[in-house]
Amino acid sequence: IAAVEIPRKQWPELIGSLLNNMTQIDSPASLKQATLETLGYVCEEISHQDLVQDEVNSVLTAVVQGMNLAEHSPEVRLAATKALYNALDFAQTNFENEMERNYIMKVVCETALSKEADIRQAAFECLVSIASTYYEVLEPYMQTLFELTSNAVKGDEETVSLQAIEFWSSICDEEIELQEYEGSESGDSVPPHSRFIEKAISLLVPMLLETLLKQEEGQDQDDSIWNISMAGGTCLGLVARTVGDAIVPLVMPFVQTNIVKPDWRCREAATYAFGSILEGPTIEQLSPLVRAGLDFLLNAMKDENNQVKDSTAWTLSRIFELLHSPATGFSVISPEKLEQVLAVLLESIRDAPNVAEKVCGAIYYLAQGYEDAGTSSSHLTPYLTNIISRLIETAARTDGSDSKLRSSAYETLNEVIRCSYIPETSHIVAQLLPVIMTKLGETLELQIVSSEDREKQGDLQASLCGVLQVIIQKLSGTDETKPIILQASDHIMILFLKVFACRRSTVHEEAMLAIGALAYACGPEFGKYMSEFYKYLEMGLQNFEEYQVCSITVGVVGDICRALDDKVLPYCDGIMTFLINNLQSTELHRSVKPPIFSCIGDIALAIGEHFEKYVSHAIPMMQGAAEHCAKMDTSDEELMEYANQLKLSIFEAYSGILQGFKNAKSEVMMPYAGHLLQFIELVSRDSPRDESVAKAAIAVMGDLADALGPNTKLLFKDSIFYVQFLGECLQSDDEQLKETAVWAQGMIGRVLVS
Amino acid sequence: MAPHDLRRPFKRAAISDQQKRRDLSLLRQAQNRHDAQQHARHLASTVLSLQSSSSPELDIE
Repeated sequence: IAAVEIPRKQWPELIGSLLNNMTQIDSPASLKQATLETLGYVCEEISHQDLVQDEVNSVLTAVVQGMNLAEHSPEVRLAATKALYNALDFAQTNFENEMERNYIMKVVCETALSKEADIRQAAFECLVSIASTYYEVLEPYMQTLFELTSNAVKGDEETVSLQAIEFWSSICDEEIELQEYEGSESGDSVPPHSRFIEKAISLLVPMLLETLLKQEEGQDQDDSIWNISMAGGTCLGLVARTVGDAIVPLVMPFVQTNIVKPDWRCREAATYAFGSILEGPTIEQLSPLVRAGLDFLLNAMKDENNQVKDSTAWTLSRIFELLHSPATGFSVISPEKLEQVLAVLLESIRDAPNVAEKVCGAIYYLAQGYEDAGTSSSHLTPYLTNIISRLIETAARTDGSDSKLRSSAYETLNEVIRCSYIPETSHIVAQLLPVIMTKLGETLELQIVSSEDREKQGDLQASLCGVLQVIIQKLSGTDETKPIILQASDHIMILFLKVFACRRSTVHEEAMLAIGALAYACGPEFGKYMSEFYKYLEMGLQNFEEYQVCSITVGVVGDICRALDDKVLPYCDGIMTFLINNLQSTELHRSVKPPIFSCIGDIALAIGEHFEKYVSHAIPMMQGAAEHCAKMDTSDEELMEYANQLKLSIFEAYSGILQGFKNAKSEVMMPYAGHLLQFIELVSRDSPRDESVAKAAIAVMGDLADALGPNTKLLFKDSIFYVQFLGECLQSDDEQLKETAVWAQGMIGRVLVS
Repeated sequence: MAPHDLRRPFKRAAISDQQKRRDLSLLRQAQNRHDAQQHARHLASTVLSLQSSSSPELDIE
C-alpha cells in the first residue's frame, strides 16, 4: 500500500509513525522487528526522492541503529540488517556523504562479525550489494573488506562464505563492465576503475584456489547443488577475465602440483582451475601451456573419477571454444592432432551422462572452429560419419536422468552439420535426412499415458525439427544439393503437419522455423502445402503468450511471400487481419512489432497492386509507429535499440509497398508521401545514426522517387534535408550504404528533371 | 525482496543452439528480404534507364 500511496503523497504520516515504533523506549522487540521489516519493504518499493531527505535520513538512522549489538536482540538486529539490504539503493545521498558512508560501512562490517551466522550472512549480503551499487567509493574500505571476506571464505559457515566469494565476483563484474566500457571508446566520460582485483590478486587467487579442493561427491550430477568450490571456481574465472595474463603464473603452480596427485579432489581442482582461466589471458600466454598439457588432458578422460572426467571434458570444450579457430588462422589443434582428439572424444561420449554431455560441448566447439574455415574446413570431413553416428547413438541413450544429454547431442549434431564442408559432405548430410525423418515419424507413434510422456515426446520432436531445419538450410544452400530437399519435401511437410497437430509451443516454434527454411527451398512449389498449413500459420500469429512463436511465424509469412509471390494472395485477407490486430494489441510483446512491419512490406512486394485494399489499414499503423519513434527516450540504450529496429522495419514496409505498386496504382501512395518524407527527415537527424537504419531510410527515399516518379517533384523541391543526408551517406565507409545512396540520388535526380 | 541470487553459471552450459537457430533464420530472412527489394529496385532502374538512358544525375555537391 505504501508503494502506491507514498509516491502520491497520500500517506504522509506513515514514516513518522513507523519511526515512532523504533524510538519509543517501551516498544516490544517484536514490534521493532516488524517495523524494521516494514521499513525495509517500503524502502525497496519507493524511490528516495519520494521522501524528503530528512525522512530518508531518519529511516536509515533507525535501520542502522537497529543493527546495534548493545541495544537489540538478535531478532531485531537480523531484521535491521535485512532492512538495510533492501534500503541500500535508497541510501544514495547518504553514500555520497563521507561521514555517513563511513558510519554505515562501519556498522555493516561490525555486523559481519556477529556471533549469529544468519546475521553475518545478512551483513555479507549487504556487502555484496554495496560492491555493485557503490563500487566507486569502496577504496578506503577495501583492506578491511578483504580481511573480512578472506576470513569468512576460510573459516565461516558455508552460507556466509558463499556470500564472501560473491562479494569478489561482484567486484569482478563491475571491473569487467568498466573495461568493456573503456574498450568501446564511447565519447562519454568513463567512471573510475579502481583495479581492486589487480591489487588483491596475489592474495585473492590463493584463497580461491583453496576453495576448489572442497568439492562435494557427485556435485556434477545434481543441478540443485551450489557450494563453495563451485562459487570459488566461478569467481576464479571472473578474476581471469578481469586481470588477463597476470593470473596465469599464480594459478599454474597449483595446476601442476595438484593434477598428478592421487587424491581425485586435487586432480579435479587442478583441472577446473586450468579450465577457469582460459578466458581472459592472451593466446600467446595460454597456447604454449595448452599445447604442453593437451595430451595430459586427453589421457585424463580415462581417469577413474567421474568428476575429474567431467571437468576435463569441460576444459577441453573451453580450449576448443577459445583457442581453436582455423577460420581466423589460429588453433592449438593441429590437423595431425585432430585424429587423436576425436578418438578420445568419441570414446568418452559413451561415458556417464554428465561426462557425455560435456563431451558434446567439446565436439560442438571443435566443429565450430571449422565453420567457414576455407580449406581447413576439410580437416573434419574424414571423421564426419563417425561423429554423426556417435551423436545419434548418444541421443538415443536412456541412462540420463533427464533429457539434457539428448538435446545436447542433437544440438551438437546441428553444429557439426552447419560447419561441415558441403562440397565434400553433401552425401553424408543427405543420408542423415531420412534417418532424422524416420525418428520424427516414430515420435508420432509413441504411446502417451502421462503428462511426462507428452513432455518427453515434445522435447524430442523439438530437437528433431531443429535438426531438420539445419539440414534443410544446409542442403538448400547450394544448387547441387537443393534437389535432395525438393525430392523429400512432400514427406517432410507431412511430418511437420502431424507434429503441429500435437500442439506444443516449443515444437510449434521449431517446426515453424524448419518450414520457413523449407518454403525458401521450395519456392512456388510450396503453394501446394498452403491449404493444409494455413491454419497453423493462423495459430502461430495468434500466439501472444509464447511471443517467440508469434515472431517466428511472422518471419515465416515473409518466407512464404517470397516463395509464392502473388500466389499467396488467397491467404492475405486472413494474414493481414491478424497482423493489423497484433499491431494494435497492447498484450503482444513489443519485440514482435518490428518483424510485423517488415512482413507487411514482404506481403506488399509479393502481391503488388493487390495490396491496395490494405493500404488504409496498414499505413496509419506505420504512421502511428513512426510518430511513436519520434517520442521515444533516446537516453535509454535498450529503448534506443528498439527504436532503431522499429524505424528500420517501418522503412522496409514502405519500401515493399512502394516497390509493389511501382508498375500500377502507385498514385495510391501519394497521400502518404509527405508523412514518409518527414519521417525520413526525422531519422536523418538521429545522433548517433544507426547505419542499417540510414541504409533503409535512403533506400525508401529512392523508392519514393522511383515508384511515384514526377508526382514527387514538388515534395523533393520543397525539402532541403535530403541533399545533406544523401551527401553524408555518399561519404560513408560502408560500401552498401554508399551504393544505395548513389542509386537513390539517381532516382531523385530523374524526378527533379522530369 | 528476493535475496541476491548467488548461483552463477557453473561450467556453464556449453551449448545454446536454439537461439542460434532463431538468429540464423532471422539473418537468412533479412538477407532474402534485402535481395527481393534490391531485385525490385534493379528492375525499376533497368526499365527507366532503357526509357531515358541519358537522364542527368542530381548534383548534391
